Amino acid sequence: MYKITIVEDDQIISGELATLLENDGYSTYIVKDFEHSVEEILSSRGDLVLLDINIPYMNGKTVLQNVRKESNVPIIMVTSKDAVVDEALSISYGADDYVTKPYNPEILLLRIGAVLKRTKLEKTPNYEDLVIDFQRGTIKNNTAEEILTKNEMIIFYVLLENRGRITTRETLMTALWNNSEYVNDNALTVNLSRLRTKLAALGHEDAIETRKGMGYILL
Amino acid sequence: MKFDKFLRDKLYFVVVFVLAYATSISFLYAFKVDQSLCVALSVIAVISFFSSLSFDFLRKKKFYDKLKTNTANLDKVYLVTTTLETPEFYEGELLMETLYDMTKSMNEKVIEIETNMKEFKEYLELWIHEIKLPIASLELILHNEKQKDKKIYDQIRRIERNVEEMLYYSRMESSEKDYLIKKIDLANLIGKTILSFKDDFLYQKIELQVENIEGQVYTDAKWLEFILGQIIANAIKYKKEENSHITVRSREDEKNVILEIEDDGVGISKEDLPRVFEKSFTGQNGHHHAKSTGMGLYIIKKLLSKLGVIIKIDSIEGVYTRVTLFFPKNEFYEVTK
Repeated sequence: MYKITIVEDDQIISGELATLLENDGYSTYIVKDFEHSVEEILSSRGDLVLLDINIPYMNGKTVLQNVRKESNVPIIMVTSKDAVVDEALSISYGADDYVTKPYNPEILLLRIGAVLKRTKLEKTPNYEDLVIDFQRGTIKNNTAEEILTKNEMIIFYVLLENRGRITTRETLMTALWNNSEYVNDNALTVNLSRLRTKLAALGHEDAIETRKGMGYILL
Repeated sequence: MKFDKFLRDKLYFVVVFVLAYATSISFLYAFKVDQSLCVALSVIAVISFFSSLSFDFLRKKKFYDKLKTNTANLDKVYLVTTTLETPEFYEGELLMETLYDMTKSMNEKVIEIETNMKEFKEYLELWIHEIKLPIASLELILHNEKQKDKKIYDQIRRIERNVEEMLYYSRMESSEKDYLIKKIDLANLIGKTILSFKDDFLYQKIELQVENIEGQVYTDAKWLEFILGQIIANAIKYKKEENSHITVRSREDEKNVILEIEDDGVGISKEDLPRVFEKSFTGQNGHHHAKSTGMGLYIIKKLLSKLGVIIKIDSIEGVYTRVTLFFPKNEFYEVTK
């Protein structure tokens, strides 16, 4: 389980961020002593830092520079200023990404996931006996192979990442749209049922379970 | 300065002189003074009268002509006093003094207003920054509480976009350059913008078609994202009742990368079309279909002109509206690369 360190002085936002991240399967650490933010970030040993630019005592950019002297932990800068200088500086000081408030929670989760994937060189998990081949767009076991469309692959991948937890339709939709697949509600249902059929053909008939009114879960 | 008008101005002077002169001559005549003396006196009187008048005219003409031409030619007319020397006649001195005082007092007023504007803008930026915090919190809270009611998110996005509009309005006129021109992948940026409208497309059942978007443009990513957002928001706002489509496509010609956003919505009437970029212009659509501030297109046109991008809108009422953006290809960059 990845641990995210949250550096945000608005207590309501930091609390809600923690809830959001915990619901998505991360553990969190909220920095409290802004006089010693750098030390607290380093000692929290998070896998990723969400760092607000406007924090008390020391500007977020300075914190970023100081953390970078000690550690290569992935850092996403957060700001509500929307100023071009901030973004350019943050990236040149070594931030991995930059998001502007107010952020859409789904999109924030996607960005965090993307940065973690990039920096941790995470290996794609396999599902049971199935091997996923992104290059060829297939899933296969020892005996058979199924070709997935891009949409089906995205859906399967998101479900797999959240294996054992409920994935909402909203999350699946966001992931699809984030990959320039502008599908509507019906198409999502169709894609899901096709994916199920293909999984069934490989011997995993009830792999995807529907949780009414909540979403889907890959068992 | 014209002599005839000057003379007309001095009419009382001429009349008094002529009367006085005529009276004097008649006295001389009555006292039977030698006629040649009368003639000589007349000549002296007329010459001195007109030469003093001409002298006065010429020195005034020199000053007022310069004042007139400088005023006409100056870009900043209020600086005219600094281009003139104080003239050597009394009225001119008075005028110069007054002009100088006026300019000074106006400058003070301008500085006061500028300072107020600056303070207001600074406060506005700060306020926008502050208002984003509760919006962000609200969004997180609703998401965490698994609030499913799309109407609530809809309203939050509305607040968000209005706040954005204000932010860019305040930056639009600012002389500081707060944008950064970089090479940007059009497809990537459009993907990002569209993603933020996902729910609008889905819940208003608008069919979105993104045709092969290609090309790199030189622009500021944030500004362009805001601009595209405004265009897409308009396309959604003025969609037709049902079965509506929005298409985004790009192409290239020799000089430009061209981006088109087309909807099959209510369109813009012929009378309104030439005026859509005017400040506060709402037109028929703004009145009938949805509340409109009439500022959106005005702001984006201003921003685009700063970025060197041309925007064009064509439309047939009830059929379609097509917004086209022309991004000039940066030849210099391509060559040096």
